[in-house]
Amino acid sequence: MDALHSLMAGFGTALSPLNLLWALIGVTLGTLVGVLPGIGPALTVALLLPVTAKLPPVGAFIMFAGIYYGGMFGGSTTSILLNTPGESASIITALEGNKMARKGRAAAALATAAIGSFIAGTIGTVLLTFFAPAIADVAVQIPPSAKFALIMLAFVTISATFGGSPLRGLISLFFGLSIGLIGTDLQSGQARFTLGRPELLDGIDFITVVIGLFAIGETLYVASRYRKTQDVIKLEGGASMTRQDWRRSWGPWLRGTALGFPFGAIPAGGAEIPTFLSYTLEKRLSKHPEEFGKGAIEGVAGPEAANNASAAGVLVPLLTLGLPTSATAAILLAAFQQYGLQPGPLLFLTNGDLVWGLIASLYIGNVMLLLLNLPLAPIWARLLLIPRPFLYAGILVFSTVGVYSLNNSVFDLFLLALFGVIGYGMRRFDFPVTPAIIGVVLGPTAETFFRTALQQSNGDFTIFLRSPLTVFILFIVLLALVVPPVLRARARRMATPA
Amino acid sequence: MSSSPPRVRPGVSVPDLLVALGITVIGVLLLVGTLSIPFGINAVVGPRVFPLIVGSGTLLLGLIMTALTLRGDRAEPSAEEDTDPDAPVDLSSPGVILGGFLLGSVLLAPLGFVIGTAIMYFSVAFAFGERRYGLMALVSLIVALVTYVVFTRGLGLTLPAGLLKGIL
Repeated sequence: MDALHSLMAGFGTALSPLNLLWALIGVTLGTLVGVLPGIGPALTVALLLPVTAKLPPVGAFIMFAGIYYGGMFGGSTTSILLNTPGESASIITALEGNKMARKGRAAAALATAAIGSFIAGTIGTVLLTFFAPAIADVAVQIPPSAKFALIMLAFVTISATFGGSPLRGLISLFFGLSIGLIGTDLQSGQARFTLGRPELLDGIDFITVVIGLFAIGETLYVASRYRKTQDVIKLEGGASMTRQDWRRSWGPWLRGTALGFPFGAIPAGGAEIPTFLSYTLEKRLSKHPEEFGKGAIEGVAGPEAANNASAAGVLVPLLTLGLPTSATAAILLAAFQQYGLQPGPLLFLTNGDLVWGLIASLYIGNVMLLLLNLPLAPIWARLLLIPRPFLYAGILVFSTVGVYSLNNSVFDLFLLALFGVIGYGMRRFDFPVTPAIIGVVLGPTAETFFRTALQQSNGDFTIFLRSPLTVFILFIVLLALVVPPVLRARARRMATPA
Repeated sequence: MSSSPPRVRPGVSVPDLLVALGITVIGVLLLVGTLSIPFGINAVVGPRVFPLIVGSGTLLLGLIMTALTLRGDRAEPSAEEDTDPDAPVDLSSPGVILGGFLLGSVLLAPLGFVIGTAIMYFSVAFAFGERRYGLMALVSLIVALVTYVVFTRGLGLTLPAGLLKGIL
């Protein structure tokens, strides 16, 4: 097997003492920051980007891998012990896991989440190992017009197909695309939307947008409707499970993994859908359906596995096509670009050692997380007891460092404040943040493919209708845009008899 | 969009309407801004084409949202960790945070990173209801100082020392 051979070389890279250290620091920081309320995986990666700025690329990406999985992991602790989910994919864990914790079964809930994440993460990484190179082989031959169509598909599915309101998702996407337009156009050298400010000629750094929308926006929003009483469940001892918990958990883990990975790998709006599907499936298969909604272990095990398997699945389109399908993946993509690397099929050829080192470190990171999280669960749980005034103040200071250190420019801090206010408004008026992030990061790439395709055809727009693959993808884009509203309208007509 | 002129019913939410109109205006401004981009030289697809698409899309979405808002659509504020959906909305706290942040940003270069971020830290803690001023001042300075030392010494970034120049 070619993939196996490359993977062994990757382990050679990842197992060097220094890279092991970076992986350990990554998973620890990722879990630590991921546990903190108000900080999801996307923001965790963005806040920790400056920390990796001085590392060589291989070390940096090994650390990112740790941060990525660690941040996912930390999030489940928060949802179980604190009854409010930080992101939509954790809603189910919060629902079922918090009920378990309230019945004094916090240790079992945390253990089934941790072990389920480990199993799902490992199986997901195995699938990534064998699928990614095969997809990359095919993807090398995709023409620019089809790449543009693929990005359209990601745009539409992430913003319009799933989630509450397609209109609000699309508005969020177009906001991100507009921000991505600011700066010098690389192909013609013309300044666009810079309002005459020299600071804007280089464009707005995506870190400023991400930290502003997530961290500052969240802080402002929470301050406006702050819940003074915290309801954190105390945890005695490490996370552990009884024999019966094991018997009830292993099926949901495997089924959750099977649901989560493919949903992560196709541009279908992230981990939300597979976690809901897994919950419904486990409820139907369970011998104790009456426990669901009151703290059933299957309802934590399945969705948590689905969540983590989809996190591994997200890396397939990211590494092979350069296509991020979640906010976190978009930030990873931008991190690659900062090192002058363009994720995509060629990355496996040009930077094979880096990609395989990254994949190998995903296996290592998963083992580290399991070893770190079962015994250390009580320590992570104590992080939830940090008084909120000091916690949110600390988040703001870290955000400031992250943005200020980009260019040592106060102008960037004013931009940060502006995006913070916009982030507040997006929460207040129910606009999802993820499409905006995808728009900022992927917009310029979309424009490049769009123009390259048209340049090859000398400005003839039918280039987008000439390749069967492009037509096929654009047809799916159209379906994804038209079918859900039609179905919704039909459901409404049936619900309200005329 | 050319259907009968929308009637303002009692169900129309004014803040939602302002947001919808704001998006429409941004769409118009994007289109105006697109016209001021110079044409590229000998490029088949100039630098104007993509902004034109984005601007038109924003304008169209803004118009649709305006129409829907006039028919009574309104947004449901999202639920986050640490928020109470039933709590009365208090806009003075975010105001304090924003004010402290801008003040700290302006003072960051002249007075130094430590004092600038300490002001930010203090104002957030205050906005979240903390009133033990001595403790807040102490924690603000310690957090700012530790951050400064870790990022300049440990990670090799350059941050302005300001007043503490020579001491640090």
